[in-house]
Amino acid sequence: MAATCEPNQNPWLSHSVRIAGITREIPGVLTLDLEFEDSARAATWAFRPGQFTMLYVPGVGESAISISGDAADTGRIRQTIRDAGNVTHSLTGLPIGATIGLRGPFGSSWPVDECRGRDVILVAGGIGLAPLRPVIYHMLHHRQQYQELTLIVGARDPALLLYPGEFEHWRTQGLNIIPTVDHADESWRGGVGVVTTVLERLWLRSPAETMLMTCGPEVMMWYTMQTALGRGIPAGSLFLSMERNMNCAIALCGHCQFGPYFLCREGPVFRFEQLRSILRIDDL
Amino acid sequence: MTLDAPNLLKMLASTRFAEGLTHQDLQSLGRAARLLEVPAGHVLFREGQREDAVFVVFSGHVRLSMKVPGRGDITILTAGPGDLVGWSGLISDGIMTATATTTDFCRLLALSSTQLKQSCDADPQLGYVLMKRLAQVISRRLVATRIQLLDVFAERRNHS
Amino acid sequence: MTESAAVPGIVAPAMNSGDSSDFIGNRRPESFLLRDDLQLLMRRLQEDGYTIVGPKVDQDAIVYGELTGVSDLPQGWTDQQQPGKYRLVPRDDQRMFGYVPGPHSWKQFLFPPSAIVATAQRVGSSWQMSTQDEPAPRYAFLGVRSCELSAIAIQDKVFLGGAFVDPHYEQRRDAVLLIAVNCTQAAPVCFCTSMKTGPRCQSGFDLALTEIDTGFLVEIGSERGRLLVEALPLRPAVSEEIRAGERGRADAERQVTKQMNTEGLHDLLLEQLKSPHWETVAERCLSCTNCTMVCPTCFCSSVTEVSDLSGDRVQRERQWDSCFNVDFSRVNGIPSRDSISSRYRQWLTHKLATWQDQFGTSGCVGCGRCITWCPPGIDLTEEVRTLRQLAESPQLTAAIGETASSSLPPNTAPQNTTEGRG
Repeated sequence: MAATCEPNQNPWLSHSVRIAGITREIPGVLTLDLEFEDSARAATWAFRPGQFTMLYVPGVGESAISISGDAADTGRIRQTIRDAGNVTHSLTGLPIGATIGLRGPFGSSWPVDECRGRDVILVAGGIGLAPLRPVIYHMLHHRQQYQELTLIVGARDPALLLYPGEFEHWRTQGLNIIPTVDHADESWRGGVGVVTTVLERLWLRSPAETMLMTCGPEVMMWYTMQTALGRGIPAGSLFLSMERNMNCAIALCGHCQFGPYFLCREGPVFRFEQLRSILRIDDL
Repeated sequence: MTLDAPNLLKMLASTRFAEGLTHQDLQSLGRAARLLEVPAGHVLFREGQREDAVFVVFSGHVRLSMKVPGRGDITILTAGPGDLVGWSGLISDGIMTATATTTDFCRLLALSSTQLKQSCDADPQLGYVLMKRLAQVISRRLVATRIQLLDVFAERRNHS
Repeated sequence: MTESAAVPGIVAPAMNSGDSSDFIGNRRPESFLLRDDLQLLMRRLQEDGYTIVGPKVDQDAIVYGELTGVSDLPQGWTDQQQPGKYRLVPRDDQRMFGYVPGPHSWKQFLFPPSAIVATAQRVGSSWQMSTQDEPAPRYAFLGVRSCELSAIAIQDKVFLGGAFVDPHYEQRRDAVLLIAVNCTQAAPVCFCTSMKTGPRCQSGFDLALTEIDTGFLVEIGSERGRLLVEALPLRPAVSEEIRAGERGRADAERQVTKQMNTEGLHDLLLEQLKSPHWETVAERCLSCTNCTMVCPTCFCSSVTEVSDLSGDRVQRERQWDSCFNVDFSRVNGIPSRDSISSRYRQWLTHKLATWQDQFGTSGCVGCGRCITWCPPGIDLTEEVRTLRQLAESPQLTAAIGETASSSLPPNTAPQNTTEGRG
């Protein structure tokens, strides 16, 4: 899970990327399609599901954004951004054709290889589906390598579910999708309740052969882990993606430390066992 | 809908609610149970009304909702396979606190609260097991409601 | 604590070496540089193109800065240090290195407090992004102490040892020449012997000097060091000079009285993450960031944008930051260490425990700067002592948990905490 930013290069160097497409997802959230201006850099671009980049708006700053696109799609980089601060506000206000900077990819990745031959459950909350989407693409491209594939996706209300337009296609490719929301009116055909309630009653073919990956608010991930353990899924088969502010993304600035880890280097994806003893310590 | 007793027991035993119960306990439960197969949109019980049955969902989903003046029918929770709905009848007067509507074709086991309570009174050992099971269900529901209350998906602005 | 001359840790081979003026233990033989000839060494460095950085008196303290000659050195000055206190005082001799390191450390030259890491220039409708690849200054550090050599070795691991190498640090580090000076005195805040980082310079230098009244014993630590002194009027040291040097180094070692028990410290601290004692420390800690600024190993930084007036040219400026700043760590934009107790805990557990997980070494070299320059005089060795006592006595933990703001029972109160609090 080592870093895959280009070696032997100044790690502070941003590469110019042009915004080639913008998809408005849900209020305050959009996906940018980015293309390198330098074709040589484009040729070497590769990432693993779960990794992130530092997107840079000159004069405003950098922000760590997870890659939400398909790793097999080498022509463009898709990143889903929530308008939540100065940099992301600026990023979500740019027009098609604008140039921004990109460093990366950085960080650890989801265990898509380790999952081969197993049942896989993805538990996503809110915008937490973004870093898991590359896993979905990967597994559906290699559908025969995996057993049961389930996505439990939670949101505040039905209008805030991410990527709903892709659900039907994913279902036909063999992904069992269970959306659940906190609040809904009568028109909502899906479930109401938290993701843990769904996980609680999910039929498991063989818990010992099941792998689970989750991304969402820390409280949600913690209870997801507890529920998964209660269902008999081994602690070593549970993975989560953590969030902290990142400044350098190259383990030099200290900001994203969490216990012994630099989230930009050992994370953002962790095996639950790595974090188990420190995840619920206040203000760590 | 009728189902012979062994098959009904088998069905009951395969639900998460009955996981780990002894054969004897299962039989006591089975005596109070009947199978129910209903289409989507069927109302199992209504908020404020008395209902004797407690339901174990075998397949399909049940929407639990409450009426809020001016806001209509608000869905509180979707119950699914293995879940228990209508448990008020087991621990209080049987006045339902929510409305339960099926959202798809459902197979449910309906257990008579009156009968169950009688069995529990007659066999405190069974009563203890059943009440413990019920407490687990309620406790899980409470934790889930708390997480829902935390509104963890609420959006906040940050600095980056 | 009873004062003890028997200090565990480093025993300099020189102490058992007898009279041999050829070899001291298994070290290279020491040569001698006359006091007046230090000027020749400095001139030689300047001729070789080095910018000499070393100690000088400024703003009532001995700090590090560019030196033009011997006259810039803090000749005849020393310092008094205690928790929360620093005072510059005259010496009764003319020693040039007769002081204990002050608020500065060499990290400010290898890892500058402010540096441009990248730039962006608007070109038409696009941006041209580049990195700042100016040639780094070529420094010669004069007067590096043993604990400071260790601090540099630790920052080497941080900036050079990972998957990503910091090019700014690397350039400066590759070019730097290290002239160490062995301590011949110690301050009450020093605990290098506990951290096994001193007081005697063991490795990592080009030259190591030991100052005596008449001049300097010179030990060569590298080929670069050997070439440097080749042209200088060095002569073999005579036995009185060697003995005077040994006495000076032994004085320093004897004067290091503060100790920190590092046995099992990593696990001990990480098992105390929920200790009520962090709240007790937080009552004194001002979260002022001083300890992290003066620490020779702390490396936290933030990059911010600096635009020109037109907004067409932007520089990305890296500045030192501190885990004591409330905004330093955030989850979804919300400060994740909102309390002083959580920030002090982060600093101490990082420095003494998780640093080991990250870099295979402690982050502390026992220089004592964080103790001296802490306004309320918080002494990390005392905090570690208290945490150790609490770890060994759960009843005590329960007691302070109940009276979160009161001090420990008298019989277990940490010693020396009254020192330097005023």
